[in-house]
Amino acid sequence: MLQFYEPEKDYGTPASTATETVTLTIDGVDVTVPAGTSVMRAAAEAGIKVPKLCATDSLEAFGSCRVCLVEIEGVKGYPASCTTPVSEGMTVRTQSDYLGDLRRNVMELYISDHPLDCLTCPTNGDCELQDTAGELGLREVRYGYEGANHLAVEKDTSNPYFTFDPSKCIVCSRCVRACEEVQGTFALTIDGRGFESKVSAGQAQSFMDSECVSCGACVDACPTATLAENSIIEAGIPEHSVVTTCAYCGVGCAFRAELRGNTVVRMTPYKDGKANEGHACVKGRFAFGYATHKDRITEPMIRDSIDDPWKVVSWEEAIAHTAARFRAIQDQHGRNSIGAISSSRCTNEEVYLIQKLVRSGFGNNNVDTCARVCHSPTGYGLKTTLGESAGTQTFASVAKADVIIVMGSNPTEAHPVFGSRLKKRLREGAKLIVIDPRGIELVDSPHIQANHHLAVNPGSNVAILNALAHVIVTEGLQDEAFIRARCDNGQLEKWMAFIRDPRHSPEQNEADTGVPAAQVRAAARLYAEAGNGAIYYGLGVTEHSQGSTAVMGIANLAMLTGNLGREGVGVNPLRGQNNVQGSCDMGSFPHELPGYRHLSDSTTRRMFEREWNVRLDPEPGMRIPNMFDAAVDGDFKGLYCQGEDVAQSDPNTQHIEAALSSLECLVVQDIFLNETAKYAHVFLPGASFLEKNGTFTNAERRISPVRRVMPPLSGKEDWEVTVDLANAMGCPMDYHHPSQVMDEIARLTPTFHGVSYDKLDAQGSIQWPCNEAAPEGTPTMHVDQFVRGEGYFALTEYVATDERANRRFPMLLTTGRILSQYNVGAQTRRTDNTAWHPEDVLEIHPHDAEERGIADGDWVGITSRVGDTVLHAQISSRVKPGVVYTTFHHPVSGANVITTDNSDWATNCPEYKVTAVEVAKVSQPSAWQARQKQFDRRQHQLLEEATDA
Amino acid sequence: MAPKQIDHLIKMANQIALNTGAHTDIADSARRTGEHLRKFWTPAMREQLGEYCASGGEGLEPVVEQVLREMSP
Repeated sequence: MLQFYEPEKDYGTPASTATETVTLTIDGVDVTVPAGTSVMRAAAEAGIKVPKLCATDSLEAFGSCRVCLVEIEGVKGYPASCTTPVSEGMTVRTQSDYLGDLRRNVMELYISDHPLDCLTCPTNGDCELQDTAGELGLREVRYGYEGANHLAVEKDTSNPYFTFDPSKCIVCSRCVRACEEVQGTFALTIDGRGFESKVSAGQAQSFMDSECVSCGACVDACPTATLAENSIIEAGIPEHSVVTTCAYCGVGCAFRAELRGNTVVRMTPYKDGKANEGHACVKGRFAFGYATHKDRITEPMIRDSIDDPWKVVSWEEAIAHTAARFRAIQDQHGRNSIGAISSSRCTNEEVYLIQKLVRSGFGNNNVDTCARVCHSPTGYGLKTTLGESAGTQTFASVAKADVIIVMGSNPTEAHPVFGSRLKKRLREGAKLIVIDPRGIELVDSPHIQANHHLAVNPGSNVAILNALAHVIVTEGLQDEAFIRARCDNGQLEKWMAFIRDPRHSPEQNEADTGVPAAQVRAAARLYAEAGNGAIYYGLGVTEHSQGSTAVMGIANLAMLTGNLGREGVGVNPLRGQNNVQGSCDMGSFPHELPGYRHLSDSTTRRMFEREWNVRLDPEPGMRIPNMFDAAVDGDFKGLYCQGEDVAQSDPNTQHIEAALSSLECLVVQDIFLNETAKYAHVFLPGASFLEKNGTFTNAERRISPVRRVMPPLSGKEDWEVTVDLANAMGCPMDYHHPSQVMDEIARLTPTFHGVSYDKLDAQGSIQWPCNEAAPEGTPTMHVDQFVRGEGYFALTEYVATDERANRRFPMLLTTGRILSQYNVGAQTRRTDNTAWHPEDVLEIHPHDAEERGIADGDWVGITSRVGDTVLHAQISSRVKPGVVYTTFHHPVSGANVITTDNSDWATNCPEYKVTAVEVAKVSQPSAWQARQKQFDRRQHQLLEEATDA
Repeated sequence: MAPKQIDHLIKMANQIALNTGAHTDIADSARRTGEHLRKFWTPAMREQLGEYCASGGEGLEPVVEQVLREMSP
């Protein structure tokens, strides 16, 4: 909803979580608040404003500025209201002549060393120092302005997104504390003492050269213009704002998009957003400029061949052309010769409509989504064991965890806002077990030290999970009461016999896992004996030939130890993209309808048939890799690809390119000419998340509103395009707003029965299941019973991958993500985030590098069984000997030219995390890279030559 | 049929069998493999692999062969 700009209310100190309450009197008003609340916050909750500078409600009270002094009956002196907790019967006075004098004295000191340039200051009108001076009636500064001051100190403009202007700093420490308490990076400090005190980044470095991760928490916390966004410096403060949801990772942070007219000038993390509670990362907070990047394509285009220039056409012509081409292909090659791929970057409503178009318009089930290549094993594994394809907790639940396992996930890079929550809990004393081939930041960083880092060999996840379970069972550490009461006892007996077998012992698995048995035993004991044990995992678990088995192994561990069904525990898949959970929920997989109901379920199928007025094919359709295989073989001819860049993100690039080249009609709906669009015959311009309405569902099942903050540059929101295409293909769709799509989803999906846009507006967000049994949603799943009834201990036999190292390919490549870039980089590469990661590099251990004569920065060729590419080497001890690592954010890197067709046995999720390779020093790019460069240049030329119809 | 697609189908079917216990509990593995193919594979994929099996089925795990024979009309 659109609101005139006004900073969010700041209560000064964090809310107390105590359940007992205390009643006191403030300025004659009776106030009842939870015990432990500060006087400042109690006053704020009663609508009484106490002036403040060093306090803000995202940080613990500090008590340094002395502006918030109050009088308390029976208490000597003038205590700071931020650091004074309430007590029963307390009587507080926040205003008196003497308090006014005291506060003005303090303000005079501040202002005597502050530039008097309010009228030209970037935050004029949005400055707490300015507001406080006004509230206190400051009319003079008796100290004058001629004394020693900091007014001439140079600005630090090294960060592309914000400027540090020390001349405006009041040394309140809010930025330093935000970096510590909220973000957990400890990049800032107060250097020097007394008058020399100053905020300093790193070891007296520039912000850019320091450890700063550019999350913006310091900028958010700053009460003056000392730390200010460059966008605000350039454009001025916003005049209205709209609350919406971030379009980057699966944390799904809520933001206030703050605008001047139709231009977003700032994204401020929303304090009431339950996923992020006012925090953000460098992507969500700052990297929004791609939405108006010059590379945006805003008009539909068509062409007969990918060797032709594009022809710009009207929406009507593009839609009619697409519908005619698809129908012609079906007439010639059969009903199953076309399909669609949707993306987790799309809203729930968009992906719902895509699968509806395919099932009821195309008349087949050839629909898949990019979760195929990331978290499809989560769906399979959790559905099998627990009964629902979803994480079990809220993000906030981590604050109650005692022992945390992070497996195949790098939260501080890929899910940074959750990473900060996690680090906070670790600083409070929770124990940490990291299972990862690579030494991620959580293994060893300021104030964080993993208790165990199980540096598992790529491909042996199931072996190590079995070893952990083996130790727990053979040492009798299981929660016998829980498993007997909550799980399928017959299957449990089978599994117990299976897991007790000595072949699963850490000792017998050591050769496969590469982890010393003693370390595995210690980690198993730590997790099993935790009061609350929580597991967080990512693509390092799923993107394997046994991804689904590993997910089941994780669920087994959680059930075995009774770590499900309450806060602080659980099985938590950290989803890569913003709407992975939602796209899966919405029936985007070829075998199931929304709500994870298999097509063969005739009752469900008939419900959809009645609603859509069609007959549905009860047989599963093709998955993404099946579509590509069939395309290469000539059986699959037409593809509608919305928001996904398969040419860059999917494995074995040369196979994908061959498949895309084989299509007779490839329709790409996107905001940019991405790698896939270079093979397209129809380009339908997409809308960024700022240009449309809808919802995203994050990794904690939280459905959050996406609200249109500016008009779509192409004139249409993405869902409207799908509706137009459906209608053109004779599949009637009559929606005028995405809320109607959600109403249909709610009608047809039991876990969504209670979801509506009205409820989202009222509650802010909803965690499904939301229905008659849980009208306000479900923060924690499986509380008294598993969704499937009894928990199922799946047998998790370790089957080694075929992708093994040998003499020709002696190393294992594993891939991952980096903080500043997102997925294929289509968005973040078009922002200043490239300052942190201008190219993908290959991390190689010093020992392996030396053996091969490779120095840091050298060009190295990486050759696998399916292809080769060339990257710069980065010598790093984060990877162990025999393992190399890279990211895939830049198309020219060709990271997926070397990944193979191997995939998870149950879901075909690609085995991105294990590729046998050899690495050698080279002097030029690979042949593929040379071809890619030429092809890219040619396709951009054809775009530039685009003619109006 | 080009080799690429059939090679993938063979490999996928074998993987399913191996991960459902083809070397430990053949009957259970056959049941689960068959169920998996019916739930997640298109009829065309099942038919293609069935034809391959009928023509010799080189490289297929015995469990997969058994399942495909049972599936064939």
